Amino acid sequence: MSTALVELQGVTKIYRLGEVEVPALRGVDLAVSPGDFLALMGPSGSGKSTLLHVLGLLDRPTAGRVLWEGRDVTRLNGGRLAELRGRRIGFVFQMFNLVPNLTALENVELPLVFLGVPGRERRRRAQEVLTRLGLGDRLRHRPNQLSGGQQQRVALARALVTDPALLIADEPTGNLDTTTGKEILGLFTQLNEQGRTIVLATHDPEAAAVAKARLRLRDGQIVGVER
Amino acid sequence: MIWDILRLSLRNIRHRGLRSWLTVIGILIGTAAVVALISVGQGLQRAIALQVERIVGYNTILVTARGLNLGQRIRLDIEAIRAIPGVRSAIAVRTETAYVEGPGGKGFLAVLGYDPPMEEFVAEMDLTVASGRPLAGPGEVLLGSRTARVLGAGVGDAVTIEGKSFTVVGILGAQRAGGFATGGLSLTDLLVISLPELRQLFRGPELVHYAVVRLADRADMALVRERIRDHLRAVGERNASLTDFEDLTRNIQSVIRGVQAFLAGIAGIALLVGGVGVMNTMYTAVLERTREIGVLKAIGAKDSHVLFLFLFESGFMGLAGGALGLLSGFGVAWVATLIVSRLFEAQGAFTPALTAGLVLGSLFFAFVVGAVSGLFPAVRAAKLPPVEALRYE
Repeated sequence: MSTALVELQGVTKIYRLGEVEVPALRGVDLAVSPGDFLALMGPSGSGKSTLLHVLGLLDRPTAGRVLWEGRDVTRLNGGRLAELRGRRIGFVFQMFNLVPNLTALENVELPLVFLGVPGRERRRRAQEVLTRLGLGDRLRHRPNQLSGGQQQRVALARALVTDPALLIADEPTGNLDTTTGKEILGLFTQLNEQGRTIVLATHDPEAAAVAKARLRLRDGQIVGVER
Repeated sequence: MIWDILRLSLRNIRHRGLRSWLTVIGILIGTAAVVALISVGQGLQRAIALQVERIVGYNTILVTARGLNLGQRIRLDIEAIRAIPGVRSAIAVRTETAYVEGPGGKGFLAVLGYDPPMEEFVAEMDLTVASGRPLAGPGEVLLGSRTARVLGAGVGDAVTIEGKSFTVVGILGAQRAGGFATGGLSLTDLLVISLPELRQLFRGPELVHYAVVRLADRADMALVRERIRDHLRAVGERNASLTDFEDLTRNIQSVIRGVQAFLAGIAGIALLVGGVGVMNTMYTAVLERTREIGVLKAIGAKDSHVLFLFLFESGFMGLAGGALGLLSGFGVAWVATLIVSRLFEAQGAFTPALTAGLVLGSLFFAFVVGAVSGLFPAVRAAKLPPVEALRYE
């Protein structure tokens, strides 16, 4: 049996809001294999984001196990998880979430800073990825000097600069107009064709359509898989 | 990597612009206050040590009433003290207030008993006469310049002191400041007659206000002190005490140090308030950048990276405030001493001290205040769970 990149086994996540316990995930089993392109779909509050966070090792399950390349990482300490995220996972957010006072190039360099990559090599790699995404002439621009689509491409470059095994995107087109959204989705398709494993969460059927498989979530459970 | 995080911190400080400056100013004011006070205090200590050394000199013993009381009379025979082996010279000082009548005025004035060795060993004793001549024999008096005006007397005139007639032989030149040998009285306001005559004019001819004893080179201080004590016992003086230069400076220095520590403590409160300013700024920054912290963690920042990012920010603001405060504090101290010197016409070099210890100490302290104030906000930032931080609106 081929090892899944990341595998969730009976993952339950319960948030406590004061006295009230809110279950966000209820016994989810899911395996993401290398080369997959999954879209998580479902209404707000269905658990998409939570599932994405658990897959991205940003959040720990209340119950169940998370295996990363076959290794149980459920109880790994925060520093190890951070390092694993830094080396193996790239994140793209709906709000782009670039650091406002850094240039495009510096934003893309940031993950490499935390990995301790020397400055010269950092700049070379960041520049290369940005150029590949068509932002070679925007290296010194700050986020507020860039359009939404350009910002999302910088964010994508930041996610890709570490050459991650898994790319996670939370509503990556949610804040973009249709045309720009399509461009970004095109980039995702390209990346997957080059062998990148991608999981994205989305409301948008068009965005979900580019994925190889769609998972429907409701009330913290996967209720349908469509390939 | 630590340098990259440092650079990021600097970037964030610059990005906040005005708010960073205001925070830095808080630290600046506190540091400046502390530095100014310590610098002035150290300068004062140095000046006093110099002054004491210049006036009193090493190898000098002061014989006074207990508690360094220069106003109370004590019983001693200065000739007997001069005869003690190891004593190079000694003077007895006595200043009395007397009823004085001159040709053009009268009143109660201070009269100093003059002892010739005075001039030799007290730098302030400037008995240079502007007109006439110095004292030469009995029945003669020198007048301070202002005293001469008050009494309307000139050279050759007669003045009566406590009913006894004296001839004015000279008027003293202008004086710069009150001297040590006159008990702080200005020579311009004095009459000077010979000490033996002064002693006969007043009750208790054996009494003096104090004596200053200078030792010969290589004399044994402890031995001479013992001999002086023997003499005081022999004449029945039980209320006297001996102070040498070291005692004196130690006393003065400890008083100054006490006052200085007290003032610096108060100034330290200003620095503390500056620290609270840093804390406030950093808490706000953590709150504002909650999402950013979440993103940093998502892309691989460890808790320690986030911690240092914020600690450097607050520490650097502390350091910047400290450096600027050091400069302005020294500037303030410099101006203050200039004004004080002008106001009190203080002689000698009274400049604020800027020691390496003060420079490094204040920079270090300001950095620590900044870093410590930033510690709680930074820990809060570092401990933020990434998911919560990302969800923060």
